[in-house]
Amino acid sequence: MTGLAAAALVTGETTNGNEFSASTPVVVLAIAVFVGAYVFIATEWVHRVAAALGGAALMVVIGATDAEAAFFSEETGVDWHVIFLLLGMMIIVSVVKQTGVFEYLAIWAAKKAKGRPYAILAMLCTITAVASALLDNVTTVLLVAPVTLLVCDRIGVRPEGFLIAEVLASNIGGTATLIGDPPNIIIASRADLSFNDFVLNLAPFVVVAFIVFLVLARWLFRRSFTYHPERVQAIMSMDERRAIRDPALLRRSLIVLGLVMLGFVLHSALHLEPSIIALLGAGLLVVVSRTSSSEYLEEVEWPTLVFFMGLFIMVGALVNVGVIGALGEAAIEAVGDDYFRAATGLLFGSAVLSGIVDNIPYVASMVPLVSDLVAAGDGAPGADALWWALALGADLGGNATAVGASANVVVIGIAARSGYPISFWHFTRYGLVVTAVTVLLAWPYLYFRYYAFS
Amino acid sequence: MRARDLAEQFPVVHLDTPAMDASRLLVDRALPGLVVVDRDGLPLVILPGSQVLRFALPEYVEEDRTLAAVYSESDADALCEGLRGRTVEELMPSRQFLPKKAADRPIVDPDANLMEVAAVMAEQHSPVVAVVDEGQIVGVITVHRLLGAALPR
Repeated sequence: MTGLAAAALVTGETTNGNEFSASTPVVVLAIAVFVGAYVFIATEWVHRVAAALGGAALMVVIGATDAEAAFFSEETGVDWHVIFLLLGMMIIVSVVKQTGVFEYLAIWAAKKAKGRPYAILAMLCTITAVASALLDNVTTVLLVAPVTLLVCDRIGVRPEGFLIAEVLASNIGGTATLIGDPPNIIIASRADLSFNDFVLNLAPFVVVAFIVFLVLARWLFRRSFTYHPERVQAIMSMDERRAIRDPALLRRSLIVLGLVMLGFVLHSALHLEPSIIALLGAGLLVVVSRTSSSEYLEEVEWPTLVFFMGLFIMVGALVNVGVIGALGEAAIEAVGDDYFRAATGLLFGSAVLSGIVDNIPYVASMVPLVSDLVAAGDGAPGADALWWALALGADLGGNATAVGASANVVVIGIAARSGYPISFWHFTRYGLVVTAVTVLLAWPYLYFRYYAFS
Repeated sequence: MRARDLAEQFPVVHLDTPAMDASRLLVDRALPGLVVVDRDGLPLVILPGSQVLRFALPEYVEEDRTLAAVYSESDADALCEGLRGRTVEELMPSRQFLPKKAADRPIVDPDANLMEVAAVMAEQHSPVVAVVDEGQIVGVITVHRLLGAALPR
């Protein structure tokens, strides 16, 4: 917090004109609570859910927020669009994962690749990236990691490189759509951007970045690619069709998933929020799949949903007492009308910070700030594109270290349980290279698409 | 009838016994489980056959059951991949589940009655208990033997 911004807080009024006190003690306390919670989340000294809920509780105690603001305010409360979109997608995933479609695809791909390691890696990464764009990254890697271990075991190569590559592919693929990565969900809701906005602005870049990643992977993971022709039979003898235990369930799931995607594409025209589309899809899938509640709720990560709620309340409290408004004004002043400089700062700053702390709390805190910047631009060319700079930086930055995104942590856990421990630096070595390359590619993309010709 | 009357001879395995040899013993002697003894020769834990299988299975199959279906008939050898190069100690449940006090061991007194033997078996989910007299294994009682003695003819 700069002295200038603090001074602005004391003299100025709160940006949203509500009744919260912007007096110095409350502001200082709110900042202390926020920074404290952030330190706990980043260092994992306490569980992140406890840190976010504890922070939210303290914000209420010090008078920086209240029930009205926390539960019902669109600007400073829990963003229910985000919570219910996540819930809906988690339910859909719970059913889809039971179909065995991922196992089917992965083994089919390994057979098509005739047991050649790099071809297998490229195909598994493509499946992962596409699935991550449509579903949650964590679930995608949870489904792909075990079958990858199986395939690597059969063809006699060490799986660490394959697993790391899949995580990186998952974070790249997830960048492409509104529902692909939680930061995008938060940005979409707060910035009022549609599913198609994301597809049109991010997906073209992601396709290019992914192809570059595949080429890079050939070199990065070259030591994982020892080809054992004598082991090919072990992979060709597997029968991927047996992974589909219930073809009717698969058919119904794919139809509903298709309808949900269609709903997302049309959601602006239908005047339905993405969260409503996801919930309708989830409901329909529950009905047609005839699964039990324990089955369709299996993949619902309640701790994650609660973590989001705590986070929203904490960030909302900072908005309430005017901290975000003051920072926003400072940022607006610093940016002036040089939006390309702002986009550059956002892209690289977000990439670095998302590598160090979980990108979800980072984006949740940055969104109100960027919102102020974009609003100040008042439709100026390049102002809106700041959202894409934030999304690209935060999503791609998640690849940088072993703790940059949840998918990274999950896969490292599976690898360790299977006897292939991947250390923090082992992952980060590869993650840093891929992050650097993809973010450096994103920079000219932003420039030429949004700034060069305006 | 007392525990000592039911006790029968039974092979034991040590923590450093190769997992393959121990499994072979299970098969050749048609045992319901393995009696694992500690360094003092006292029974530490019973590894039921199902537990041995759990470790024989590749971890990824346990992580994702669907994968079990894709193996072909000729892949039976893959089933025991997990046993190769491991010892009995590595098949054991993690440390925290190992008995901390004597009462948690799969052990009964020679004077124990059938009800006591059954209680230990049920509580430990174990198909076998060892009969121990003054630090020496007298023999073991299998669930078959116990039920055989107890069921009405």
